[in-house]
Amino acid sequence: MKKFFFNLKKYYKYAIRSAKAELKSEISGSYLNWLWWVIEPLCFMLIYTFVFTVVFTAKEQYFPVFVFFGLTCWEFFNRMIKGSVTLISSNRDLVSKVYIPKYILLLSKSFTYFFKFLISFALAFILLLFFKVPLSLNILYVFIIIPLLYVVSFGIGLILMHFGVYLDDLKNLTNIVLRAVFYLSGVFYNINLRLKGALKYFLLRVNPIAFIMSEMRKVTVYAKMPSFEGILVWFAIGIILCIIGIHIINKNENSYAKVI
Amino acid sequence: MNKNIAVKVENLHIVYKALEKTSIKKSLFKLTKKDVVEAVNGISFEIEEGKILGIIGKNGSGKSTMLRAIAGIFSPDKGAINLYNNSVSLLSIGVGFNKKLTGYENIYLSGMLLGFSEDEIKKKEKEIIDFADIGDFIFKPVKTYSSGMYSKLAFAITAILETDIMLIDEVLSVGDAQFKKKSYEKMKELISNDKRTVIIVSHNTSTLMELCDEVLWMHNGKQKMLGKPKEVLAKYEEFMSK
Repeated sequence: MKKFFFNLKKYYKYAIRSAKAELKSEISGSYLNWLWWVIEPLCFMLIYTFVFTVVFTAKEQYFPVFVFFGLTCWEFFNRMIKGSVTLISSNRDLVSKVYIPKYILLLSKSFTYFFKFLISFALAFILLLFFKVPLSLNILYVFIIIPLLYVVSFGIGLILMHFGVYLDDLKNLTNIVLRAVFYLSGVFYNINLRLKGALKYFLLRVNPIAFIMSEMRKVTVYAKMPSFEGILVWFAIGIILCIIGIHIINKNENSYAKVI
Repeated sequence: MNKNIAVKVENLHIVYKALEKTSIKKSLFKLTKKDVVEAVNGISFEIEEGKILGIIGKNGSGKSTMLRAIAGIFSPDKGAINLYNNSVSLLSIGVGFNKKLTGYENIYLSGMLLGFSEDEIKKKEKEIIDFADIGDFIFKPVKTYSSGMYSKLAFAITAILETDIMLIDEVLSVGDAQFKKKSYEKMKELISNDKRTVIIVSHNTSTLMELCDEVLWMHNGKQKMLGKPKEVLAKYEEFMSK
């Protein structure tokens, strides 16, 4: 763990710079430039809103806002997981030529995703005002929920990154799992209202992203207090996952270059 | 005379084993034994500070693998490598380049990846740009570069951001004749610095003869000979011409 903080100090500037570089290069060739970061989440929100209000007649209050907050959280989680599985092999050049603590690669990647998350979150917030959703001070709890989302995603990402090096088809598997989790997380429906009994409790307790999404909406769209107990538990789990992940990577990272 | 050892390698073993990429299907249904390849098999040597060691051997004899282990990219399976807290870099071209960004931005990206701080790079920035000598292209995206310009910039970065120990895999010959001469001169200058310890891997016996203080001959991962360049290289050439 000491080594982790030492490396963090040594490399965080590189992580930031390489994240910036990646964001820059992503838009350097396109006409609309950074506008894509706004247009993309906005379009997804419109698609889901259309499908679920017109086709499936969803009854949730403030549905577009509801979807947008969910989608924002989901996209970050989804990108982190998908990105981490193939992270080492997509950086083959780098990994086989210099030594860099491998979690720094994930850290840098997570910065780019987090940046997109923040844009999307800002849009969600604007939408909140646009639909005149009644607000309360409870909205300040997002500053607890966002770090929670980050810690949990980072922890899972670290572990998947390690196994992604050895298992070539882990990415196919994660794609399937992610799709299932997507539908079971209530991105476009309210688990609390639509599901009943054991299934509801099970999903909200076992699926971190469903829990985080539901808490996020509680404090924003519904102006309620979050469930501190659950947040505390997931924080603990997230931090434990991070520690396990860092430990595994510290132990194994030197053989990654041999594999890829 | 006070001898400072800069690099000490003891009984180094590096094995490529069941670490190949595998799929879930394979690991479930295939329980056959996997090949074990000893890429480096019991190599030991020491280098004093400021000396230059050449490594020679035919393809696949484990030279590059060992170099990468010294650079810290691999960990040894057995044995030890001690660098006595010297900074080390493997001179390789264009690490961490982002081709859509300008050469200027890539100087920082690549340099920081090699473990230098932003300030250190800032100080050397001008020197790098001057040495690379690619004019205004430095402010254009790297993807617009010719392959020669790319190598020139990449070489300039690694050559000017110096470390205590330099590991060189094949003496780099990049760019046009003029730049080749310049880079060879620069390389010699870097190498001949009293403080700098260098390990060079090469197939070129005349280069090694000219530059090195000692030569290590590796054959199939094993240490065949270690000694003065003249003796080792003579034996090597005799062996290779058989």
